[in-house]
Amino acid sequence: MKPAACEYVAARDLDHALQVLAQAGGDAKILAGGQSLMPMLNFRLLNPAILLDINRIAGLDRIIVKRDMVTIGPLVRHRTTATHPVIAKYFPILTKAMTHVAHHTIRNRGTFVGSLCHADPAAELPMMALLLNAEIEISSATGKRLVSARDFFLGPLVTVLEPQEMVTSVDLPFTSSSTGWGFEEFARRHGDYALAAVAVTLSRRRNQARHVRIAVMGVGETPLRMTAAEEVMDRNNLDALADVVEAIRRAVKPATDLHASAEYRRHLVGVLAGRAIAAAWGSAQ
Amino acid sequence: MDVELRPKLVGQRIKRFEDPRLLTGAGRFVDDITPPGTLFLAFRRSDHPHALIKSIDLGSALSVPGVVAVFDATDIENDLRPAIPSSRMKGYYATPLWPLARGKVRYVGEPVLAVAAESRYAAEDALDRIQIDYESLPFANRAEDAVADGAPLLHEDAGTNAIVVRSFGRGDVDAAFAGAAFSVGATFRLRRKTPVAIENRCYLAEWDKRRSALTLHSSTNIPGVIRDVLSDCLDLPGNRLRVIAPDVGGSFGSKGSLYPEEMLVAVLARKLQRPIKWTSDRLEDLASTSQAFDEIMQAELAVDADGRLLGLKADVIGDIGAYSIYPWTGALEPVQVVSFMPGPYRLENYQARVRGVVTPKAPTGPYRGVGRPAATFAMERLIDMAARRLGLDPAEMRRRNLITAPEFPYRSASGIIWDRSGFQECLQAACDKANYDSLLRKRDEARAEGRWVGIGFASYAELTGIGSRISVAPGMPINTGTETATIRIDATGSITAAFGIASHGQGLETTLAQVIADELGCRIEDIEIQHGDSALVPMGTGTYASRSAVLGGGAATLSARVVRTKVLKAAAHLMELPVDKLVAHNGIVSAPGSNQSITFKEIANAVYAQMGRIPHNAREDLVASETYDPYFGTATSATHLAMIEIDTGTYGVTVTRYVVAEDCGRVINPMIVDGQVQGAVAQGIGVALLEEVIHDDDGQIVTASLADYLIPIAGTMPPIGIVHVETVLPPTQGGFRGMGEGGTIGAPAAIANAVSDALSAMGIEITTLPITPDRIFQLITQQGSLPQ
Repeated sequence: MKPAACEYVAARDLDHALQVLAQAGGDAKILAGGQSLMPMLNFRLLNPAILLDINRIAGLDRIIVKRDMVTIGPLVRHRTTATHPVIAKYFPILTKAMTHVAHHTIRNRGTFVGSLCHADPAAELPMMALLLNAEIEISSATGKRLVSARDFFLGPLVTVLEPQEMVTSVDLPFTSSSTGWGFEEFARRHGDYALAAVAVTLSRRRNQARHVRIAVMGVGETPLRMTAAEEVMDRNNLDALADVVEAIRRAVKPATDLHASAEYRRHLVGVLAGRAIAAAWGSAQ
Repeated sequence: MDVELRPKLVGQRIKRFEDPRLLTGAGRFVDDITPPGTLFLAFRRSDHPHALIKSIDLGSALSVPGVVAVFDATDIENDLRPAIPSSRMKGYYATPLWPLARGKVRYVGEPVLAVAAESRYAAEDALDRIQIDYESLPFANRAEDAVADGAPLLHEDAGTNAIVVRSFGRGDVDAAFAGAAFSVGATFRLRRKTPVAIENRCYLAEWDKRRSALTLHSSTNIPGVIRDVLSDCLDLPGNRLRVIAPDVGGSFGSKGSLYPEEMLVAVLARKLQRPIKWTSDRLEDLASTSQAFDEIMQAELAVDADGRLLGLKADVIGDIGAYSIYPWTGALEPVQVVSFMPGPYRLENYQARVRGVVTPKAPTGPYRGVGRPAATFAMERLIDMAARRLGLDPAEMRRRNLITAPEFPYRSASGIIWDRSGFQECLQAACDKANYDSLLRKRDEARAEGRWVGIGFASYAELTGIGSRISVAPGMPINTGTETATIRIDATGSITAAFGIASHGQGLETTLAQVIADELGCRIEDIEIQHGDSALVPMGTGTYASRSAVLGGGAATLSARVVRTKVLKAAAHLMELPVDKLVAHNGIVSAPGSNQSITFKEIANAVYAQMGRIPHNAREDLVASETYDPYFGTATSATHLAMIEIDTGTYGVTVTRYVVAEDCGRVINPMIVDGQVQGAVAQGIGVALLEEVIHDDDGQIVTASLADYLIPIAGTMPPIGIVHVETVLPPTQGGFRGMGEGGTIGAPAAIANAVSDALSAMGIEITTLPITPDRIFQLITQQGSLPQ
């Protein structure tokens, strides 16, 4: 379990990194936190010609607070996201989700952006990006493009990123402070990849749910928004809960793996959704 | 003060002497040792469960810079003899153990060839360039298929896949069942497990050209056994073959057998005349280190109207994997399942059959508890099923059937002799410690709120500290029943005690020093305990089977007494007092009632370094080497009590309360015993809820990473209440019983009973471990009452 030899390049700045990517002919991998990349290199599942280390680039490790959003840089570690006061104030659901992200030592190195780029369908942050309508800034030597989280994930470990591209920031637009939220996850051990998780935000007006967002993970090839279930809940109250849960169970196509059967996962996602929606309803003002 | 009233070290919570070095990174494990010129091995392992090796194409492997050589089985055929895990059992077939697969492979992960290179990186680069052409052979993946007539044979020479078949019986089982009020039964399944020691296996062999001698550094807990078998395999006398186990990072049984990689580093060090090292990575560990359990146990219990046990029937299939392991054989686990199944209970009529079956999986070997976790799971489930049928409290059901004090020694239905141990007392102590009545109230209150809460017991007894009368593994020809301690006081007055044991986390450097300090009367800080080295004593088998405190402690006691006598005789000359007036304590010999005293250091100096202080014809070196053999073993008993809650939606199980009451005789160091119990219960919780080695229908192991093979972590652990019950001390030297394994024996059964209790309203009985959320979902779905 030793990686094959490759060229190691420590990028001086963003331009340098993008130049290296452009010249690598699609055969470079970016090293940020390395918590998924290093095992894949050790298993020789990946044998890149160039390992591009971006850890020495100054300024990429910040969460920048703007008027209507926060911007997360590509070297923001899980530990930073989990303990950031602005995140806790404006995205309490993200702070809650962070408590389920891996184990302590992994959180010290792993990055928010790296988790999106890795795109594991049972990882929390891709689902949270989807739920929070994240906008993902993708850069290359020839320019930039913005992709919404809804369009970013294509399949298990597959995104729209081209080999010469790098995610340079992720914008999370603020939601109203009256927004209610609920996050429920179940894993065999706390901190492991989830068997399923559900994240919900909604607002409440005259005892009706509005702006309902429901995202799920672990029950499909990518994290998913449950748009049909959101519509069932919209302008409804908790009396609709059983129907919303059924809509979610109908919408997902979980797979059987060694940790759980598809039938159990379908059951589980409904249970978690019921709890998350009830919590969101209860916390909405 | 009277010597007998002085504070003893045995019984004290002394901090472990091992911990400062281990906790500050100053430990020295095999992988920390790399002599100049070392070559590193990397293995190509079979990716087929059962196939003929048609051809091997090395490609450009040898042109990778740093690669020295590549070996397959044919290259070393004449360099060694195989190890034969022999046994006196009738009808048993001993699969020979070679370092590399010869002609065919029998499990995914079996070593086929090895690359030796200047670095592990280069060796793995070379592996990428080698092609092996296989011809797939049919195979029976599941033990129940492998045992059937006409199943494809893994070892043609055996003529069968059932290489171990045994039957046990006593009394008239059919009459007992005919006369019973009712019987309960089920097919219980304890899935395959792997031990996952924190240090992966690692071997380093060095050839000394000058002496024609081999030194093997091995992460093993049986250095003496490895020395003896390699002496045969390599045709080297024991004085030119030394096996050293330095600091070893856990074993749980997994480092207690001979391994192919271990044989190969030894062979190649001699062949290439260079140091050869192999360090397992976690992938290799999960695929090839000896695994555990994998039992299918059909069992039925007959009971009278008062809940008294009348008869037990068991038919067990043990999936032992591809090879019978050396030296324990594939009989070790499955045969002990049936020999321990009657448990700590009064039971006259028993009939059992066991078949150990080879399948294309990594070999099973010893694992903490051996046989008893499975046996206890089946028996304790049956006890609870019978109690439920009767409407009897499970504690009362056990009270009526556990052997009582006047009945000891009790010969169990399978022939094990239980000496007096706290069978009943531990049950009572567990109930008292947990405040059982109030737990029952809490459970019932929770149930009234719709929560799924359950309580479960497990009572068991195990045979520990086994002497030369009994084989640790059935029919095994190696005597594991003796242990030698060599104690010497040197010219500086310091004390060295050398053993054949091999501590690998048990804290034996501390506990044995406690025993010696008390017996010898020296200062504990003057003692160095040496172990884990085949050169220390003529024959020592190591640390396993809950033997080292009993046998090592016994040998330490005997040797320390001899040395103390010599110290007192020397002191008598020096002090000019009669020897029977002298006592030794804390490194000082004194005469009570006088103010004369002399230190051990002064005595040693006088004996060794000063001419004429001791009459020349009375002078003796301050040394002794005594061997202890407890002959029989001694019974350690315990009752575990678990309280659990199941999430009614996710079906996740949380252990909320846990109590262990155990009788391990005289406790040498309660802190170490507590640690052993905590660690073993953690592993038992892993057995109950998390851990499962899974092979798919293609024979591939799909749990080959720690993301997929789940072990307990700190967050999984409940607080554990521990009670040490000391009833009557056993007749072992010092009154010690072994206690390293018990937690793993009791916890799976106790948790299975607690989960069954929580689900009892739905009529669900747990028969398969581990209990995963998905399995609970399937059970509830089958009952047709899926709650929302």
